[in-house]
Amino acid sequence: MATPDDMQGMQACNLCNLPENYNLKYYMYHLVTWPRLSYVAEDPKGRIVGYILGKMEEDPKDAPHGHVTSISVLRTYRRLGLAKRLMIQAQEAMADCYGADYVSLHVRKSNRAAIGLYRDTLGFQVSEVEKGYYADGEDAYGMRLVLHPSEVYP
Amino acid sequence: MYETKLYKKGIKTADTILKKFPEHGETLCMKGLILHSMDRREEGLELIRKGVRLDLTSHIVWHVYGIAHKSDKNYEETLKCYLQALKFDKDNLNILRETAQLQLQLRHYDAHVESRNTLLRLRPQLRQSWYALAVAYYLNGDDSRAVTVLEQLETSLKNLADGDAELSDILLFHIKTLEADGNYASALAFLEEKLNERRIMDRAYARTIRAHLFEKLGRLDDARESWKMLLQRNPDSHELYRSYLACEGLNLRNSSPESKLKVLEALVKLISLYPKASAPQRLSLDVAESDAFRNHVIPYLVSGLRRGSPSLFSDIKSLYRNDSKRTIVEDVVLRFREELAASNIMDTAITEQGETPATYVWTLFFLAQHFSYVEQPQKALSIINEALELSPALPEVLMVKARILKRAGDPFGAALWMEKARQLDGQDRFLNGKCAKYLMRSGNIEEANRRLGLFTKKDALNPGTDLEDMQSLAYLQQEGDAWVHQRRLGRALKRYHSIFKIFDDYEDDQFDFYAYSLRKFTFNAYIDLLAFEDHLRGHVAYITAAVAAAKIYVKLHDDPDLAREMDQGKHSRKKKRTELPTNGTNGKVVVDGSAASADPDPDGRVLVSLKEPLIKAHDILSRCDGLVHDHLEYWLTVFDVAWRRGKYLQAVRAYQTAKLLRGDHPEIHVRAILLASRDWSTCESRVAQPILQCIVSIIGPQTLDIFNAQYLQEHPNHAPAILAAARGLHVFKGSEESEGIRSLTWQLLHPECSTNVQVCLEACMFIGEVCGPEIQESFRKLCQERFPIATVFLAPDQQEERRRELQAVIDNID
Repeated sequence: MATPDDMQGMQACNLCNLPENYNLKYYMYHLVTWPRLSYVAEDPKGRIVGYILGKMEEDPKDAPHGHVTSISVLRTYRRLGLAKRLMIQAQEAMADCYGADYVSLHVRKSNRAAIGLYRDTLGFQVSEVEKGYYADGEDAYGMRLVLHPSEVYP
Repeated sequence: MYETKLYKKGIKTADTILKKFPEHGETLCMKGLILHSMDRREEGLELIRKGVRLDLTSHIVWHVYGIAHKSDKNYEETLKCYLQALKFDKDNLNILRETAQLQLQLRHYDAHVESRNTLLRLRPQLRQSWYALAVAYYLNGDDSRAVTVLEQLETSLKNLADGDAELSDILLFHIKTLEADGNYASALAFLEEKLNERRIMDRAYARTIRAHLFEKLGRLDDARESWKMLLQRNPDSHELYRSYLACEGLNLRNSSPESKLKVLEALVKLISLYPKASAPQRLSLDVAESDAFRNHVIPYLVSGLRRGSPSLFSDIKSLYRNDSKRTIVEDVVLRFREELAASNIMDTAITEQGETPATYVWTLFFLAQHFSYVEQPQKALSIINEALELSPALPEVLMVKARILKRAGDPFGAALWMEKARQLDGQDRFLNGKCAKYLMRSGNIEEANRRLGLFTKKDALNPGTDLEDMQSLAYLQQEGDAWVHQRRLGRALKRYHSIFKIFDDYEDDQFDFYAYSLRKFTFNAYIDLLAFEDHLRGHVAYITAAVAAAKIYVKLHDDPDLAREMDQGKHSRKKKRTELPTNGTNGKVVVDGSAASADPDPDGRVLVSLKEPLIKAHDILSRCDGLVHDHLEYWLTVFDVAWRRGKYLQAVRAYQTAKLLRGDHPEIHVRAILLASRDWSTCESRVAQPILQCIVSIIGPQTLDIFNAQYLQEHPNHAPAILAAARGLHVFKGSEESEGIRSLTWQLLHPECSTNVQVCLEACMFIGEVCGPEIQESFRKLCQERFPIATVFLAPDQQEERRRELQAVIDNID
């Protein structure tokens, strides 16, 4: 689970990997509002090598649902299944703490590797295409996964 | 009209009033406030001050004055104004709320409690008023009062429906408060009751707190079961294993052989419970020894190699602190490679054992990193070249080749290979960033920025401003370091100061979250945020930048000519032109030009020509006072600054802290000699006394000669220690011992000495200062022979040639 002490590491990791970046205040906003929906993966020295920044949709038109604002893993830490584990942690918390029915995310249409991960490994499905979603004009796929509340705890 | 930003209309209205009543303080203030927010700051402030003077007892004028200060982020002054305003309108809700917020920002916990009490008195019907007062008591360390307030609040909430998020946050806070008060049993009982009533929504978090409470109450069996349940959910958390083992009386860090055996036994059980998790397998490698280690490490390595995990080596290398583990790892992977080679793996798609050609490549990949790490760059290069022939298009392989070259002292070759790696996957920002970093190290800062620009916003002034806006501390640090390397100290300071500015912004960011948490009932998370802010500048990124900047200020103090050179600008600028011939000439990117138009001082002249650089250095370093724990470099730099400022007691304290951290570190040895070789007899005894005591405790009655010789004996063939002894000799003997210093430095190149590029580079600079250019030149040539791959020991003009070659090659591939 990500704590405020992890925010700078998450920000640094995000800047290494993705073109969509945020100020620290945006991470604060996520962690203060949904402290259970963000997770990090660390290397043996405690440096953050992967993260998921999650939230709940604030004004859902339909059922309550979660949204993945950003997820990434450093290139050198791939093939360890970190993205999958981060995603599962966040999904379980969305369902358990906030009763989310499903989780959504956006992905660049050209990002085949990520689409493969979301669809084949994690079971997401494309729900819509959003034209010109990204700052550079690229389209996004909106993807969704239905959640079932896990009852690990009695 | 101020709030809706109808500034012009606002001024008009104010002017109409002022025509009739030119001495109307409140109107003057409003007009001032509007001007203040319209880029006419000074003029606005002047008007506000005038308004305040004319109407000293109006709460409005003080409120307005406060608002102006607040928009300048001057919270101290804002608070003073608000408190003044409250004197004349003590129940003004707006001002009271903002006052409470400011008091928290400034950590005036006492006064904050008072404000919250007043607010509760005025608005007792709001849940928030109660919750906020409880939080105020808690932050002020008054846990029992906080509990009382919470109990009152909860009685009024009895009839809420299940699953109320606000109530859930209140209850979790209640538990936190009981725990802080040392009331573990009540906290636990309360937690279980509320869990059963399904009042707490965040059940996973509640389970974690419960496990901690069991521990604190000494109910270790219950605690263990709780941790186990959490492990089922996340069997890859090292933290959870640590907590679980602690309940069995086991400590992963205990290095006694018996303890390690027991921990290993326990971990073996956990491995069979969670066979898919890598955490218990990895932890077992820390505690297993000799044959047990071999048995555990073989499957771990083999599965990592088969999976092709690029991080396998960096995961393993921390085990290398133990020589025998390092030998075992080397042996296991070398054998694995032999087996694969013997099975003709590269000719068959898949062997009988199920190995694929890719496994062989990843094995070479691992070995190359291994040999680079143990300072055998030739061997590392030949192995990575083999991998490269087999997999020429795998960026990871090229990245490792770049890294090997970097470690071997060839920043130009390293940058070239990183650029080649980048080109294999131009869509990947990670490769892009690495490439830029390596280009910076090779002195090609512009090329680096051009690469970075491929991923930054196109409408940004230049790639650097976008990265700075996005708070990329790593970029700023890298570029600052690159400028230091080129002796452009002003530019370097600019980057480091940008890092400090970002930390100021981080600090400021917390301000809005108080009102937010009050509205959203998220105080638990808010309190964690406050704790984060309280140790913000203990973050390694701040310390690294602070140390780097302080070192520059020390340089500027030691050699004021450096600043003057910059000031006149002729020498260094001319030099720069020849260094960077493409600057603005090829028209691809105008990094410097565009930055100059926005920034009146892109070269940081103001920063390098400070009158008292040491005071600045001290200020920067003391911002993280009390927050730095395990950072040797920080304490050494604090010492160096204090020493030059004549603050000897401060210096000794820094020395002692450093000594506690890393007792026999070479840099500490040099400072010990510095301390002992000064004549303290002229110093007043208040200062001299503790210093002399410290010296006696380090050196005893012996002479510095013997002390220095002993240090050498204790660290035979250890290159940094030999260099430290040479520097020590120079401190107490000066140049008269230049022959002794020379012969010590030459020992660094003795075949039995475990040396490396970095130490020899430092030695080369040092010996130049002490023994002159001729001796330096012969040392440099010897280094070149000793490190044939390295380019950093080439003569400056040869290095410049390499850099240009690199640039030409890169321009061509571009």
